[in-house]
Amino acid sequence: MVTEAHAHAHDEHEDDGAVHVHIASTPFYIGIFLVLICLTVLTVKVSYYDFGAANIVIAMVIATTKAGLVAAFFMHLRHDKLFNTLSFLGALLFLGIFILLTYDDLSKRGRLDPAYGGRVNVQTGQAAPGGPPATSATYDALPEEAPATSGAPRPAQKRE
Amino acid sequence: MAAVDMPVAGGHAEDSHGDPHAPYLKAKSGIGSWLFTLDHKRIGLMYLAFVALAFLVGGVFALLVRLELFTRGRTIMDGETYNRFFTLHGAAMVFLFIIPSVPASLGNFFLPIMIGAKDVAFPRLNLLSFYVYLLGVAVLLFAIVSGAVDTGWTFYTPYSMQTGASVIAMTMGVFILGFSSILTGLNFLVTVHTMRAPGVTWTRLPLFVWGMYATALMQILATPVLAITLLLLSAERFFGVGIFDPKLGGDPVLFQHFFWFYSHPAVYIMIVPGMAVNSELIATFTRRSIFGYFAVAMSSLGLALLGFLVWGHHLFVAGMSEFATMMFSALTFLVAIPSGVKIFNWTATIYKGSVVLASPMLYAMAFIFLFTIGGLTGLFLGTLSTDVHLTDTYFVVAHFHYVMMGGTVIAFLGGLLYWWPKMTGKMHDEKKAKVGFWFTFIGFNVVFMPQFIMGSRGMPRRYYDYLPQFEIFHKVSTVGTWILAIGLFTTAYTLLEALFRGQTAPRNPWGSAGFEWMTDTPPCLANFHETPVITRGPYDYHLATPEELDTGWDKVKAQAQAKKD
Amino acid sequence: MANVSDTAHAGHDDHAHAHPSFLQHHFDTPTQQFNASKLGMWVFIATEILMFGGLFCAYAIWRGLDPQVFDDAHHFLNKIMGATNTVVLLFSSLTAALAVRSAQVGKRNLTSFYLVVTLLCAAAFLVVKYFEYSHKFHLGLLPGHCFGHPGLSGAIENGREVGTCLRTTGTQTTSMPEWVKAVDEGGQTRVLPPRANMFFGLYFVMTGLHGLHVLVGMGILTWVLIKNVQGKFSKEYFTPIDIGALYWHLVDLVWIYLFPLLYLVGKPE
Repeated sequence: MVTEAHAHAHDEHEDDGAVHVHIASTPFYIGIFLVLICLTVLTVKVSYYDFGAANIVIAMVIATTKAGLVAAFFMHLRHDKLFNTLSFLGALLFLGIFILLTYDDLSKRGRLDPAYGGRVNVQTGQAAPGGPPATSATYDALPEEAPATSGAPRPAQKRE
Repeated sequence: MAAVDMPVAGGHAEDSHGDPHAPYLKAKSGIGSWLFTLDHKRIGLMYLAFVALAFLVGGVFALLVRLELFTRGRTIMDGETYNRFFTLHGAAMVFLFIIPSVPASLGNFFLPIMIGAKDVAFPRLNLLSFYVYLLGVAVLLFAIVSGAVDTGWTFYTPYSMQTGASVIAMTMGVFILGFSSILTGLNFLVTVHTMRAPGVTWTRLPLFVWGMYATALMQILATPVLAITLLLLSAERFFGVGIFDPKLGGDPVLFQHFFWFYSHPAVYIMIVPGMAVNSELIATFTRRSIFGYFAVAMSSLGLALLGFLVWGHHLFVAGMSEFATMMFSALTFLVAIPSGVKIFNWTATIYKGSVVLASPMLYAMAFIFLFTIGGLTGLFLGTLSTDVHLTDTYFVVAHFHYVMMGGTVIAFLGGLLYWWPKMTGKMHDEKKAKVGFWFTFIGFNVVFMPQFIMGSRGMPRRYYDYLPQFEIFHKVSTVGTWILAIGLFTTAYTLLEALFRGQTAPRNPWGSAGFEWMTDTPPCLANFHETPVITRGPYDYHLATPEELDTGWDKVKAQAQAKKD
Repeated sequence: MANVSDTAHAGHDDHAHAHPSFLQHHFDTPTQQFNASKLGMWVFIATEILMFGGLFCAYAIWRGLDPQVFDDAHHFLNKIMGATNTVVLLFSSLTAALAVRSAQVGKRNLTSFYLVVTLLCAAAFLVVKYFEYSHKFHLGLLPGHCFGHPGLSGAIENGREVGTCLRTTGTQTTSMPEWVKAVDEGGQTRVLPPRANMFFGLYFVMTGLHGLHVLVGMGILTWVLIKNVQGKFSKEYFTPIDIGALYWHLVDLVWIYLFPLLYLVGKPE
């Protein structure tokens, strides 16, 4: 690992209002870049193996490590004002709230009320607005002999 | 796009901006001095002019919609026109008027002054935000001319994917307006963080600034989601991407999630500035420190946070999962906490305060009264079992008008009267202002009180026609709009009269301890002649010197007397 | 906060930093100006994250509800091209960071060199993207009701149908209806799942918006490059280079997530 160099454009204790920033060395940046490339190769390599549900977890962990490196060093967050990091993480937090609560709704439709998510037209399989979207997963799960509830549209079917 | 103002060489030369010690309205003159101004005060005034115009336009649509509902069946327009008119009323009021109203006009003008800064952090971005706003207005006007939209201001799918093509122009206009809103919020946030004068600590920030800060946070975090929602809606219409289209495997309720993830925080983008203004009014006209300053400041941030957790309560009957409805309902009740903190602290401030019933204070009291009604009726709608019956009725219409109009608009009018002398240097006629207030207050209640009743009896919102048993309520409500219009026009006349013929206002006509009253009236171009060093809080009446609190009316009267003699 | 116009710092008034030409009139010190610009940019980045976030939300929901579509449809994306573009963007991010570094130490020509390299990488990224897009267009793997080959009469008639008339590049050997099959990037004729249009809809919207940001980023970096060549920047004042580079890193950050989400996560063969 390349060592991180500390250098300052000015003397440290001079309060003249001029901008003082932490300047990392060129080899340090190149080192970070090489780590990023290694992680990219890794994420492509592991994509050829099937870990089941862990596939997406592995990919996201690697991606987040890469993003963290870019944000911390290329974008200087490591040596920047704390509030800049907070605004970055805050955006991710609110994005998380958005995705989680929305996902919570869509993944739990019809759990309590079996009549929920009815179809406008059973023959064509057109979903009622607001019903759970017909997915290939639900399609597979539905019994063939119960047309009243199996409304998932067959892709090949003609619609009016 | 350059998100950050790029300074250029020579930009600091003060003479290019005018004399920093001259009153900001006189520092430079000519039309160019307005169109290219970087002065936050002038930008605030330009915003104010257009925001007021948008309010007028939205108000005229409201009057026409109410007039149509005066009798059963057709009164003045057909059903299609009626659909367009209520959409235009909603879109103009929400996107053109109420979202930019307080932050972009009063906030722009007073936020930098209140923290002792010379300007906002990015003056050019500020001007850009104004022109982006104008562009948005132009695109919206184009949408109206090219065949107006009849979806309501919410653009729900799938109807918005099927109705006329001007939905695209309309959503593009809203998209552009969103940019303007983001730029304002970004500017305010950075200004509060980096531009405070020496001594303006976080615990000495005026509550108006705290409110603007919370608003800025919401504008920054919520508005981008609106942008992507509207982009997806356009993509849906052009390519049929399918995310919101059940035919292609999508889900229209997802649109409502996207839309309300912005628009519920947007509701707080609308009301929190009103509360911010109200805190200033209450402190000044009770002559005492705000009770529970820290709690009131934090409740603004609390509202900003909770605003992002409760959007699902707009979807209770839209087909959301039962688990989600329960969770969102429970979260919704949490909103009562910060709202209650504010209401109780304001009333506690008034208690044993030296209350001065000047016209802005009347508005502040009306705010507390009307917002309490609006807030409490919100609990009916947050409760799952009652919401099923009340949703999409006039009860909802009355509820949010009590919050938006009874809250934000009332506070905005109060703030305008309160700060008018500082902004223009001219004092308005208190008598006319009070007449305007009473007409507005009574008219407002006459319009919306009957709507609570007919809503709870099942009158659905947005309908063109109604059953005979609702006729009396609709008639009363329509008459109320006329009283309300008289009140608003009286207030507008009062302000304009002051502008052109008003008495010259002294430095601190209300005797406030707030920082903005410590500078000239109207403020000089640089806001303060020297960078102020703040040694007390904005509500520390016990620490303020008699000179600071001196209203200056004696001097004005003496001068007027001398002139007469 | 040091206030150079106040008497408290009168001793520094003749200091070279008191009124540098790049300092705007409403700021007191270059540090204040620098911090304001940086914070402004970070807040702007937060807005960008939330804007892209809407798309990631849509992705999460459709993938969660219908993982089969994503498993099957992602084979039509070329991992090698995606990985190449990732490396190109990462390298451009490195050069952008080095451009900032050389500005911080006052090496103007080196800054220009790194900016040019960054711009070239951006162009290379768009070229690769162009080849990917045109291949999708050719196969008819288009979003929504454009799904299916645009050149086929059947496709136009049924233009609004789900998964109509997907023309494969070559052989239709089995008795399956031809629209459900296409040749994927591995060279296999593969059955397309129902609602594959959803996947390609998301693919085009996400990479399209990202591509738009690449273009905007190129515009910003070009502007910064011109100003740098004109000698507007120094080691005392390099804020625009820093800000421009931050924007460019943001473009990189988004792609770091887009690449695995679209190209990689799915069941391998």
